[in-house]
Amino acid sequence: MRDALAPLAGTLSRQAGIDARAIVAGAEEEAAQVVAAARQEARTILADARADGAAQAEAAAVTERIRAERQARDMELAARREALDELRVRSAAAVRALRDDPCYPRLLDRLSALARAAGGADLVVEEQPDGGVLAKGRGRRVDCTLGALAARAVEALGAEVERLWAP
Amino acid sequence: MTTWAPIEYTDVAELRGPLVVVQGVQNVGWDEYATITLESGERRHGLVLDVDRDLAVVQVLEGTGGLRAETTRVTFAGSPLRIPVGAGWRGRVCNGRGRPLDGGPPVFGHDSAPVAGLPMNPTVREPPAEPVITGVSAVDALTTLVRGQKMAVFAESGLPHLEFAAQVAAQAHTGDAPFSVIFAAMGLTHGDAGTVRDILDTRSSAAELTVLLNLAGDPVIERLLTPRIALTVAEHLAFVLRRHVLVVLADMTSYCEALREVSTARGEIPARRAYPGYLYSDLASIYERCGRIRGRPGSVTVLPVLSMPAGDITHPVPDLTGYITEGQILLSREVTSYPHIDPLSSLSRMMRAGVGAGRTRPEHLDLAAQIQAGLSRARQAGELADVVGESALSPADRRYLAMAEAFRTRLLAQRPDEVRTLEETFERAWQVVSVLPRGELSMLSEESLEAGYEGES
Repeated sequence: MRDALAPLAGTLSRQAGIDARAIVAGAEEEAAQVVAAARQEARTILADARADGAAQAEAAAVTERIRAERQARDMELAARREALDELRVRSAAAVRALRDDPCYPRLLDRLSALARAAGGADLVVEEQPDGGVLAKGRGRRVDCTLGALAARAVEALGAEVERLWAP
Repeated sequence: MTTWAPIEYTDVAELRGPLVVVQGVQNVGWDEYATITLESGERRHGLVLDVDRDLAVVQVLEGTGGLRAETTRVTFAGSPLRIPVGAGWRGRVCNGRGRPLDGGPPVFGHDSAPVAGLPMNPTVREPPAEPVITGVSAVDALTTLVRGQKMAVFAESGLPHLEFAAQVAAQAHTGDAPFSVIFAAMGLTHGDAGTVRDILDTRSSAAELTVLLNLAGDPVIERLLTPRIALTVAEHLAFVLRRHVLVVLADMTSYCEALREVSTARGEIPARRAYPGYLYSDLASIYERCGRIRGRPGSVTVLPVLSMPAGDITHPVPDLTGYITEGQILLSREVTSYPHIDPLSSLSRMMRAGVGAGRTRPEHLDLAAQIQAGLSRARQAGELADVVGESALSPADRRYLAMAEAFRTRLLAQRPDEVRTLEETFERAWQVVSVLPRGELSMLSEESLEAGYEGES
């Protein structure tokens, strides 16, 4: 009985073997596909991450560049302001030194005439301790002190001042 | 002569609010610029509001706090305010009357110009042409800003109109042509000013940007000077230094409120909603300073930004602005995504002169028209869907609704810090129209469709 079934068993066994190999081959193929797909996905993810990273790094570099440029600009502006302030201080000192000049009385006369010409002949002119004159009248006055004149001189320079920091 | 020995008037009759009334003055005119010196030596500045015989009323820009009538001295400049003009303004941050806020020295220039400006001779004007690219897709694609144009941005209340204005100022460019931006902020709170400065700080070339900041706490008369100073600087940069200049004026409603306050102080007869009767001509004197001049390569483009009180587009400020400007961008609360631009209520009247082959893309006008038509049809379909339900709509109508959604998500919605190139904008615009069947795109030529259409034929 068993012998009679032996060919059948053999056939079934072979068939099962063939099926098993086919299944294994199919599984291997599927596994290979899954692995390939996973590798592809990993490559895409990596490429995306690299692109994102590069974009972020680029953005960060741009932000850093803008910040650095701004900082440099702020420092440059502050330095220009200091140079202008220094010019004001030095010109005020230089003009005040005119008090010791032998021509100072003549200068006072000129300033008195200037003040009266601007504000009217009725102005009363007084010499000021800091140098220069102050002319006063009813409801108006003309300031020709040396400090005020020095400030006006710097003001009158206008854009010439930029030569302080021009290359 | 008077430069070296100016007369100081010492007879102050009255100090009232921001006003100083000086008596005994001679040869003083309206709008003349004045310097007020305090007892401490501190100097403030002002403008003559009114003159009657020997009386002059001066509005002090920095306010009258700390002033004493007996010790205050006032000097008049002999002319309305002039400012130095030139390249020195580039890269500077100043207050609303042009004084530095960035720690630098005052701005110098070899020339000076009156801030009130001179009207441009109409016979030498050139019509606007060539685009200003803003980097905002909805603007560049549908309401392109053109060099020399004046286009207003109207914003319903509660929308981030200042962020939008600052984004445009931070991103705008004219390709390889020399370009500058002047951002004149008027009546901003400290919080808003901080936000605006943070956004403007992202502009890649700081030297291309000039910022004038007039804050809500600053005197109102300074607010009247701010846009004029911005335009005076812009005119010189454009027509002498040959640059393309974009002037962003935000918020013009605050400017008009300042004008109303000053007009009331002058005792003028009020018109609509207490604004002065000359509001139209005053606004025109600002907006009309844009343009191009024949034979000179630069241009001044003006982008006034206005908040509409209570969302009312018939309010005098947006109403009169709309008469003067050549187009508008409407920011609406109904559009939920930033930048909240309502494409069907926005229009650039000069767009035809700024787009097309050699400027942006050959199909630009047709593509913009196709998107507008599609959005219009989608709006009708949406209204119908509200009544009968979306499932009862025809398949074509459903495609239009899908196209409107694609427009909102792919083209309109944009982050406030996102710059889109023209190529990116067109790519997205084609994605939007490609939601529709090819047969529906009757405004686009076969040639353009072949090149750009991405949907199923």
